[in-house]
Amino acid sequence: METAPRPILVALGAEARALRLIQAGFRLARKRSAPWIAVHVETGGAQLAEDGEQVQVWLQEAQRLGAEVRVIQAPTLAQGLSEATRSSHAQALLLGRSRDRWPWARVGHSTADELQRRGLDTYIEVLDDRSDSAGPEHRGTGFGAMVGTLSVLAACSGLAWLVPREGNIALVLPVYLAAVAFIAHRWGQGLAVLAAVLATLLYNFLLETPRFSDAAAHWPNLLFFLAMLLAAQAVVGLLHRLRDQAREVQRREVHTASLYLLGRELARSLTPRQVADSAAEHIRRVFKVEACLLFPEGSGWRALPPPSLDPGLPPPEDLLPRLDVGERLGDPLEPLSLGRTYCLSLTGTDRSEGVLQVLPRETLGLPPGTWELLKAFAVQIALALERLRWLEEARRAQVESETERMRSTLLGAIGHDLRTPLAAIHGAAGSLLLPGQVPESTRRDLLTMIQDESERLAHLLGNLLDLTRLESGSIQVQKEWQPLEEVVGSALGRMERRQGALPVHVDLPQGLTLAPFDAVLIEQVLVNLLTNAQRHAPGQDTDLRAWDEPGWVHLEVADRGPGIPNGFEDRIFDKFFRLPEAPEGSVGLGLAICRAIVQAHGGRIHVEGRPGGGSSFRFALPLDGTPPQPPEGAL
Amino acid sequence: MSQPLILIIEDEEALRRFLIPTLSGQKYQVLSAATAAEGLAMARSHNPDLVLLDLGLPDMDGMAVLKGIRSWSRKPVVILSARNQERDKVRALDQGADDYLAKPFGAAELLARIRVALRHTIPADVAEPVVFSGGFRIDLERREVSLGGRIVKLTALEYRLLEALVRRNGKVATHSQLLAEVWGPGGEGNTHYLRIYMAMLRRKLEADPTRPRHFITEPNVGYRLNLDAPTP
Repeated sequence: METAPRPILVALGAEARALRLIQAGFRLARKRSAPWIAVHVETGGAQLAEDGEQVQVWLQEAQRLGAEVRVIQAPTLAQGLSEATRSSHAQALLLGRSRDRWPWARVGHSTADELQRRGLDTYIEVLDDRSDSAGPEHRGTGFGAMVGTLSVLAACSGLAWLVPREGNIALVLPVYLAAVAFIAHRWGQGLAVLAAVLATLLYNFLLETPRFSDAAAHWPNLLFFLAMLLAAQAVVGLLHRLRDQAREVQRREVHTASLYLLGRELARSLTPRQVADSAAEHIRRVFKVEACLLFPEGSGWRALPPPSLDPGLPPPEDLLPRLDVGERLGDPLEPLSLGRTYCLSLTGTDRSEGVLQVLPRETLGLPPGTWELLKAFAVQIALALERLRWLEEARRAQVESETERMRSTLLGAIGHDLRTPLAAIHGAAGSLLLPGQVPESTRRDLLTMIQDESERLAHLLGNLLDLTRLESGSIQVQKEWQPLEEVVGSALGRMERRQGALPVHVDLPQGLTLAPFDAVLIEQVLVNLLTNAQRHAPGQDTDLRAWDEPGWVHLEVADRGPGIPNGFEDRIFDKFFRLPEAPEGSVGLGLAICRAIVQAHGGRIHVEGRPGGGSSFRFALPLDGTPPQPPEGAL
Repeated sequence: MSQPLILIIEDEEALRRFLIPTLSGQKYQVLSAATAAEGLAMARSHNPDLVLLDLGLPDMDGMAVLKGIRSWSRKPVVILSARNQERDKVRALDQGADDYLAKPFGAAELLARIRVALRHTIPADVAEPVVFSGGFRIDLERREVSLGGRIVKLTALEYRLLEALVRRNGKVATHSQLLAEVWGPGGEGNTHYLRIYMAMLRRKLEADPTRPRHFITEPNVGYRLNLDAPTP
């Protein structure tokens, strides 16, 4: 019987190396098609806030790669891990070794050993990181280092004192050699040179026979001694190079991890504001500095996230060339220092996207090596900004081509719809001007045609203008609370004054329904819908209904026409869209105007089939805000 | 005033070519000006009985022309405005214009509006009984309204609103004008009061309040009382 594979457990701390653990866990889990769990043990000790944040980042990353995430509390790491391993029946446990985080690992009982002692039968894999073995650096000329140096030398001299006087140099020198090498390794070159000089003096002064004699008398000894010191220096130099390489590897790993995280965060950003927020956040966490992005705006800067770290920045036309000079001179690591802040140009592949400004928390600035990473951050940020700019440009190009398409459709539509009535008017006027008598009835016919066709032209142009203004946003919706009855009355009145009585049945709610809208615009919607209904079902009854529900008022214009064919319910609201069987005289603007107006009110419009045939156009307007109190005594 | 003199201030030649013969054919005397400066000069020298004023003149803001005319004349001014310029219309009406016509307009609409504008408004102290077509009658002296011979009870505010419209004699009244006349100072801004009272009046005096024949809404501008409504 096949059982589900046991999970793989990955123990995560706050170190940058955790990313490697996560990747190893992910790979192992995939190889064995097993689930995997990322676990963090909170040991209750004092934890730095930044570490907590970092752990959250790692846990999120693990989760993104399909891990189940657990945070457990235990007195020690080993105890927490063994419990977690047991309870999840994990087949393997991955953990890292870190000297500075878990000091006991150094003295022989590492977490892994501890876990073994607890009788865990799980396979434990310790991801050993050679770069970690370098340990913390104790450079400097502090008081402690000086005391240490002197103590070591004193101990050596004491040891040498015990050695028999004659021919002792072969015995004494290795002792001093070891001491100087140790000091160089431990406290740096400066103290090592000091130690070598002191050791030479001590040897000559204290140990050479006769004791407390003049050092110059023993200069061959002195030369030999100095040669040994040089050898010690060479050993130390090699040690240091190894250590530096290891440190470099570690630093690169930290860089890669933090760059990776930043890049991922930036890839998700959709606006410069989001880019700036996550950039500032990451830089604050990695470098312990405040940061913001600056974008040229007029003759000043726009800071994101606001406010700017230094309000007294020079204007863009001064600052940007100065930042670019650094670029051109091939000196990318030196940021421009301005006041207490530093500025880096955010240059992507083609041009400057802005400026990264950082403010170190201490006045000392940043350690020298970190500028390189900060520069890498700046490049990432610049690329993210550039990506957004290109997206925006692509979007704009799309809008432009859309507009262009609109324009040609418009010309096509206008070509036909303007020319037809114009031809009729022109022809009729020409006939009327012909010499000779035109019969009175013909004369009237021609004049009526001129009037009708010019009205059609005016209507078309009015619609075009309305739509253009609505779409460009130059029409401001003047919302005022008013009775539906009034706008229905003015719409019907406007149509009936022109066309005579219309077969429209009006059904409004009892009482006076007030809604906030622009009377001119909503009248236009009703007129367009009623005109449509009359056009598609001439002479047939049209129903105009209204009803309200909490938050909305609904209006409906329903006809008994042929209805809208399936699949066209949305498209009929598009500009210049005409159903193939649409009667002459429609340009396909009326419904587009209706939709634009209703949307400008924050409402919605749609069409649906009507039981018994025909179509029902419905629109809803939001009842936002509080309705005004009716005057006393009314209603 | 057998042949009223009408001054047309309009810069578009096509419109003047339409307006002049149309009005002359209706036994009006017609003068026309293509610029604001010319129009103002002609208004002073000829003292026309009515001015048709285009708001979009090339040399001067139409509002300034209106103010210039109003500084010395109470004669009716009818504004010619493009569509969708409700704010301009309202501003002109509140500044003393008598009525407006939205372009494009037909001859019938133009003549009807001019007829109404040439009528006198009924001064507040004149209280002659007024009888309207459409079966309803208002007696301004006895403050009595009847529909088809039956007395209609109106509240005091409803009556004041009706009276304000009646005294305009068919001309448009803006929201703010009606609010100031009916509610007095401080009533401005309560446009919804006005709308509700108008709905009340329609319910009492219109056969079908959703198809008003008398109380005509001019959206976002105001109201007019149609005096020539046919008998239902």
